[in-house]
Amino acid sequence: MSSHFKEFPITWGMVIDIDKCTGCGACMASCQTENNINPQPEASNKLRSTSWMLVYELTNDKAFPDHDIAYLPRPCQQCGNPPCVSVCPVVATEKNEDGGIVSQIYPRCIGCRYCVAACPYHVRYFGWYDPVWPEGMEKTLSPLTSVRPRGVVEKCTFCHHRWTLAKDAARAKGKNPDNLEDGAYVTACVQNCPSGALSFGDIKNPKHKVHELIKSPYAFRLLERLGTNTQVYYISRREWVRKLGDNYLKSE
Amino acid sequence: MGLDRRAFLGLVAGGAVGTLCTPIPWKLIDDAAIWTQNWSWIPRVPKGQIDYVATSSKLCPAGEGLRILRVAGKPVTAAGNPDHPLSRGGVSALARSEVYMLYSPSRIKSPLKKSGKRFEPITWEQALAEMAEKLGAAKGSVACLSGDASGTINEVLSAFAAKLGGPGTFLAPSEAQAAAKGMKLMGGVGQPGYDFENADTVLVLGADIFETWGTSTRNRKAFGAARPVGQKPKNKYIYVGPTRNNTAAVCDQWVPAGAGDLGIVALGIAWHLLNKGVVQTGTPGFDTFKAVVNGGFDPEAVRRATGIAPETLAEIAKNLAMAKAPLVVTGSPCGQGLGAAPFMAGMAINLLLGRINRPGGVYALPELASVVPGAVSRAKLLDVDLPGFLKGVAAGKTPAPKALLVYDANPAYGLPETATMATALEKIPFKVSFASFMDETAAQCDLILPNSLPLERYDDVATPYGSGFCIYSLVRPIQKPIHDTRPTGDVILALAKKMGIDCKFDTFLAVLKEKVAVLAKAGGFVATDVMPWQVAAGAKAPALPGNLWKALESGAAWTMVGQVSQTGLGYGAEILAKAVKPTAKPGAKTAVLAPYAQLRTGTPTTGIPCQDLTLVPDTELVGETTLVRCNAATAKGLGLKDGASVTLEGAGTRCQAKVHVFESVMTGVVSAPLGYGHTAFDIFSKGKGANYLGLMTVAEEPGTGLSTWTASEVKIA
Repeated sequence: MSSHFKEFPITWGMVIDIDKCTGCGACMASCQTENNINPQPEASNKLRSTSWMLVYELTNDKAFPDHDIAYLPRPCQQCGNPPCVSVCPVVATEKNEDGGIVSQIYPRCIGCRYCVAACPYHVRYFGWYDPVWPEGMEKTLSPLTSVRPRGVVEKCTFCHHRWTLAKDAARAKGKNPDNLEDGAYVTACVQNCPSGALSFGDIKNPKHKVHELIKSPYAFRLLERLGTNTQVYYISRREWVRKLGDNYLKSE
Repeated sequence: MGLDRRAFLGLVAGGAVGTLCTPIPWKLIDDAAIWTQNWSWIPRVPKGQIDYVATSSKLCPAGEGLRILRVAGKPVTAAGNPDHPLSRGGVSALARSEVYMLYSPSRIKSPLKKSGKRFEPITWEQALAEMAEKLGAAKGSVACLSGDASGTINEVLSAFAAKLGGPGTFLAPSEAQAAAKGMKLMGGVGQPGYDFENADTVLVLGADIFETWGTSTRNRKAFGAARPVGQKPKNKYIYVGPTRNNTAAVCDQWVPAGAGDLGIVALGIAWHLLNKGVVQTGTPGFDTFKAVVNGGFDPEAVRRATGIAPETLAEIAKNLAMAKAPLVVTGSPCGQGLGAAPFMAGMAINLLLGRINRPGGVYALPELASVVPGAVSRAKLLDVDLPGFLKGVAAGKTPAPKALLVYDANPAYGLPETATMATALEKIPFKVSFASFMDETAAQCDLILPNSLPLERYDDVATPYGSGFCIYSLVRPIQKPIHDTRPTGDVILALAKKMGIDCKFDTFLAVLKEKVAVLAKAGGFVATDVMPWQVAAGAKAPALPGNLWKALESGAAWTMVGQVSQTGLGYGAEILAKAVKPTAKPGAKTAVLAPYAQLRTGTPTTGIPCQDLTLVPDTELVGETTLVRCNAATAKGLGLKDGASVTLEGAGTRCQAKVHVFESVMTGVVSAPLGYGHTAFDIFSKGKGANYLGLMTVAEEPGTGLSTWTASEVKIA
């Protein structure tokens, strides 16, 4: 499917090895604290909780003892053809940032939630309430991410602020900020995953590990048939896991 | 010249067009949009210089090194320290929350004294005076309970308690306890350490090595390093246990077996190894062990007891026999209560394969030298059985101590048979808690002397159980105590001085400095460029730096690939013959409870970290109700339907739950999450689900005498 969105010389991508994910949730915890998502006492109600990174439990639907499980961490897929961008009436979310990261500009967002409905990956969250931190805990807010009020939509940004920091660090060392070394910019979830299930880099840069990883015969993307051309790839040696990545007819 | 209508309109229109061509209206609209989201009640992010400092996690049992992001000198987020051997950049969900926990709503803000059913704030001077008076009166009958399995604080606590006299110091039950007991009964010495990094085939018997067992962050790093993304794995992991838990989910093979049958499975594998003749025979007690295995653990007997097909065990044995560096790790699927016998059976396979003190095998690690005079060694602390003691107190068979000091432990919540343990605690007339958070035990105590959190105090992590090498890391204060709290080490030493007890040191910092000074003379090296598992595999260890304290304060870890030579380590075959027996199968209306713990729900002393509640899936907690898992066959047998509300009953306790039919649980087993059902803490923990530990029955393990509670039968209706 051809794209009416532009191509980017730097395209940040994530590769998630599902076969290494234990489902511990360290990526989710990392994301929450990195991006100033407030603690939610009612978080056991998933319709009301916000988690930019969410770990899904997959099963092969077989009976014991042939049953198998896998965990699928789901950040924003940073689509090449993002359905959310097309529907935004106020240009609050765009695909024009270098690196191919789908932006989310909170002050522009009017909270219409068209993008929430349009996203096939359920990565977008609407703030139904103003964020509240227990007394004193606001002192632990990260200075790198703004705090969102209620009434706007938010989502994973691939920890965009870390890219800015990495570029600054490169400039300070006299290096080219547009040609970062592999690992100079990684997201919080990738950095902290204890199993090393998550990899991150410029998928167009041959010096970056992910450039090769996405060519793995075991690599797939979620709902590829939609033509969203996502920048998040998954890897699994298990065929049933790969098949769950899209909707297939029984005959396929 | 007058201004006619036409000119006026032209001027207005021109002015309007001209203004639109300037940034002014667009800037005003943009500002208005920002102002609509810029309310005074929305917290502002902090401003200031960003820097990073290193320390180690004390709240997370995995003991990983942390790298703390600070803004204007205040900690903001915790990440894994890439240079620390127990972290290598990884961090658990619990350790990641360590900064947020500083401001947890359940933190105890000052010393408290019980007054009726409430607590009254008191000063530290009043608290210490009260402590000195009450402990002086209780001399000869003072017990101490510590939940810190890896800290030098235990030296201070045990020396203080020993000088006061009484039952002494107990450690909260842990995997380390079953292992220590097992090693002792096998005639071995040293703390078992598992070299995952150099192993090529790992058989995991029950232990949730990638979630709660031992150095779980380091275990996962070792696992991940041998499995480059998108490439063929360089090692093989086989998990044996009642559920496909977080560990089994990524292992190459899951072999369903009840937690009570892990010893049988291990001896069944030993049978295959013995009959293949691929074993080392020189170990003491080999002939007796062979006779025991051949006498009752042939493939058919194991199949009858566990349901595992003979060919499955034969295949596992073949994998182990063919591996260059096989390793067997045994532990409890729920992190506690396994008993010593399954550990011994697992170690027997390591012995058969000659895997003791070898790269990729099990190292017997020496204990680091004590520095506080009169302190009880870790080996001796691990030899005491807390649930057995409290059960005796509850039943009136053991006299209740007159005073109990509780440090970093929550026995009113975190022990099996919770109702029995509560009865025992009620019999103790004076209880003091050093908790940082208002947990269930603190709520029952007469006095609370709140401990500063790890980010506010000096502390240490010394060779946590599971580490494959000796390791020592420093925990150091990143900021001043937020509330009126003090480090318990300092409080105990001040109290000792007040009571005229000589503990040699005045501050806990002085204890730690002495500890490090002793370490500097013991050899070892600081892991920076070379990691301890590389040294175990033959790499040259670097020289120790001149100023070890400084290196440790910078976040580096002291390590040593030490090993205690074994002269009497044998199979403990006579004990295995008594202890490893088939367990009774559940009745028509009962099932075997298989609890599981996860770091995202914290530990008994932390409660659920507020940020981590979002991590809990709706297959585990919905609203205020926890879900228990069983497969369709079990559900059918018990007459249960998916989503049904049920009551579980065991050990005189009842718990509510909803049923989640899930096929990765073996038949006859109900799997239940731990870490819920708090009656204390804050809105993020209190009232969320049920505490299924209370359903577990404590039984004495035949042959070893250790209390066990891994495979309790529960009624479900």
